[in-house]
Amino acid sequence: MSIFTQNRSVRIFIGILVLFTLGVTVMSEAYGTGAISVSFTKVLGMTLCLCLAALAMDLVWGYCGILSLGHFAFFGLGGYGIGMWLMTARTEAVVRANLAGGVIPPTEAEVSQATALQIFSVVGAEDWPWMWAASDSLFLSLVLIVAVPGLLALVFGWLAFRSRVTGVYLSILTQAMTLALSLYLFQNDTGLRGNNGLSGLQNIPGAEAIGQDRISIWFFWASAVALGLAYVAAAWLISSKFGNIIRGIRDDEQRVRFLGYRVESYKLFVFTLTGILCGIAGALYYPQAGIINPDEIAPIASIYLAVWVAIGGRGRLYGAVIGAAVVSLLSTYFTGGRAPDIALGAFRIEWVDWWPVLLGLGFVLVTLFAPKGLGGLVDYVVRKDRA
Amino acid sequence: MSSLLEVQGVSVTFDGFRAINNLSFQIGMPEMRAVIGPNGAGKTTFMDIVTGKTRPDTGSVRWGDLGHSLLSMSEAQIAQAGIGRKFQRPTVFEDQSVQDNLRVALKKPRGPIAAILDRTTDTDRARISEIAGEIGLADHLSTRAGILSHGQKQWLEIGMLLAQDPKLLLVDEPAAGMTTEEREHTTALLKRLAETHAVVVVEHDMEFVRRLDCRVTVLHEGAVLAEGSLEHVMADGRVVDVYLGR
Ligand SMILES: Nc1ncnc2c1ncn2[C@@H]1O[C@H](COP(=O)(O)OP(=O)(O)O)[C@@H](O)[C@H]1O
Ligand SMILES: [Mg+2]
Repeated sequence: MSIFTQNRSVRIFIGILVLFTLGVTVMSEAYGTGAISVSFTKVLGMTLCLCLAALAMDLVWGYCGILSLGHFAFFGLGGYGIGMWLMTARTEAVVRANLAGGVIPPTEAEVSQATALQIFSVVGAEDWPWMWAASDSLFLSLVLIVAVPGLLALVFGWLAFRSRVTGVYLSILTQAMTLALSLYLFQNDTGLRGNNGLSGLQNIPGAEAIGQDRISIWFFWASAVALGLAYVAAAWLISSKFGNIIRGIRDDEQRVRFLGYRVESYKLFVFTLTGILCGIAGALYYPQAGIINPDEIAPIASIYLAVWVAIGGRGRLYGAVIGAAVVSLLSTYFTGGRAPDIALGAFRIEWVDWWPVLLGLGFVLVTLFAPKGLGGLVDYVVRKDRA
Repeated sequence: MSSLLEVQGVSVTFDGFRAINNLSFQIGMPEMRAVIGPNGAGKTTFMDIVTGKTRPDTGSVRWGDLGHSLLSMSEAQIAQAGIGRKFQRPTVFEDQSVQDNLRVALKKPRGPIAAILDRTTDTDRARISEIAGEIGLADHLSTRAGILSHGQKQWLEIGMLLAQDPKLLLVDEPAAGMTTEEREHTTALLKRLAETHAVVVVEHDMEFVRRLDCRVTVLHEGAVLAEGSLEHVMADGRVVDVYLGR
C-alpha cells in the first residue's frame, strides 16, 4: 500500500505499535514473564481504545474543524451495544446451568424469561425491553455497534450542518446531545438498567474455561489491531484530496463552498465516520473495563477527549494518540491510588483530588508553550535529528 | 450574444441600510466587463448576491440560456453551475501547498466519495503545471500558500479560478498588491480569458481599467450610475462628481 511507502509517520507509528504490542505480550501473565499484571494489561488495552477515540476526535476536530464535544456518546453506545450481548449470553448460560438440575428440562421461553428476570430485576422489571431484541445474536450486535452510533451521528449531523450550526454553538449542541443521552440512560425504565448500567462484561460467553489472563491479552491485541488499522485508514483518508478539502473547510469553509463543494456533505461524512470509529472503540473498551453505566457518557467525558487531542496536538494523527495515551495513563496513575500522597504538615496533597488541577495546569502550559501540542514536540525533535 | 447572467431589480438591506438599490446588470459570453465605483458602492455585495453568499430582498438573478434562478441555489450549486469568484482579500488555503490549492480547485467531481478516490492523473498534473506557469508560481508548487507574498496569493487565487474553469469569472480587485508588471500580466490574462468566458472585474485603478479596454459599469450607492465605454462614462458629469468629490 502506497500509504506505507509515502508516509513516514505511518511507518514509524505502526512500527512502535507492533513493538509495544510484542513487548506487552512477552511481559504478560498469559504468554510471557508476568511482569505486567492482568489488570494492567487491561489498562493498556483500554488506553489503546481511548487512543482510537482520540484519533477519531482529531479527524473531526483537528482536520475538519468541528469541535464536537459529544463524541464520547458514540463511544458509550458502542459499549452498550456489545454489553447487551455479553450480558445476555453470559446470564443465559448461568440460568441454563441453574435450571439444568431440574427434572424436566426448561423450555426456551422459560430460559428467556428467567434470563430477563435476572438482568432486569435490579430496575424492577422482568421483561425484555425492545432495545435488547438483537442481544442474543453476536452478529446483529456487532452490526448495531456500527449502525447505532453511525445513525445517531448521521441524524444529529444532518440537522446541525444543514442549518449551518458552527463553532461554539455546535459544541454546545453536541454537549446537549451527550447529556440528553446520559440522562435518558440514567432512568430505570429505559431498558438499559438505569444507573446500574451493564456489568460483568469481562466474562466472555463461551470462554468460561479461559482465564482473564489470556482474555485480557486477546482484547489488548484486538485493540492494537483496531488502532493500527484505523491509523492507516485515517492517514490514507487525509492524504487524499478529501483530506485537502476538509482542511480547507476547517480553515475557511466559505471558500470551499465557492469552489463548488457541498461543505455539509463533507462534514456529515467526517462526523458520521468518526462517530462509528468511536462506537467501535467503545465496543472494545468496555469488555476490558467490565462495566458501563450512564456516567461514562456524561458531558465531561467528551470534553476530556478534546483535551487529550489538544494536549497531543490536533491536526496530526500521532499527536492525538500521544495525547490520549499520556493523559489517560497519568490519570489512571494519579486517580487509581498509585501515586503516593504528599504530606505537607497540616496540609496533604491527595492526588485523586489534585489530578484535575494538574491536568488543567498541563493544558494551560501546553497551550501557552507548545501550541502544537506534545505531537509538535515530536516534530521538533525529529527535525533536529535530521539537521 | 445571448445573456449569461441577468440581474434584475435587486435590492439588499443590511440593518436598514440599503447596500444594493434596484440594481440591474447583464452580461453575455464571451464578454469582459469592468465594474467601478467608490468604496462602499456595493461592488462586493453585488458579487455576494450572484454567488449566493447574500440573498437579496427583492429582484431576480437568472443564469444561462434557460434562465434558471440562482436565488434558490446554494453557493456550491452556483459554483458548480459555472460561476467562479476571486475575493477582494485574497483567500487561499494558507496551510496547504500551492499544488494542493490548485488541485482542490481543479474542475472534477465535487462529492466526498469522488474526492476520496481521486487520483491526480497526468492530465491533472499537466493542467496544474500549466496554470502554475501562467500565474508565475511554477517554482513554488510545493510552497505553503501561507508564506507567499500578497501579490502571489492574488495570483494563486486567480490560478484556482482558472483551475475551476467556470463560465463566468467574478474578479474582485485583482491588482491590489501587485507590481506594475504583474498588473500588466493580469490584464493580459483577463483579456485572453474574456475571449472565451464572461469576466466581471472590479477595480479601482483607472489605468488598469483603461487597459482592459471594455464596457464599464459604474456603481454608486448600490445602483448603476452609468454604463458604456470608459470614455463615455468618464464624460458623464455624475460619475465625475462621485469620483472627484461631493
Ligand atoms: N454583511 C454586511 N453587513 C452590513 N453591511 C454590509 C455588509 N456587507 C456590506 N455592507 C455594507 O454595504 C455597503 C457596500 O459594501 P461593498 O459591497 O463591500 O462595497 P464595495 O465593494 O463597493 O467597496 C458598504 O457600506 C458596507 O458597509
Ligand atoms: Mg469591495
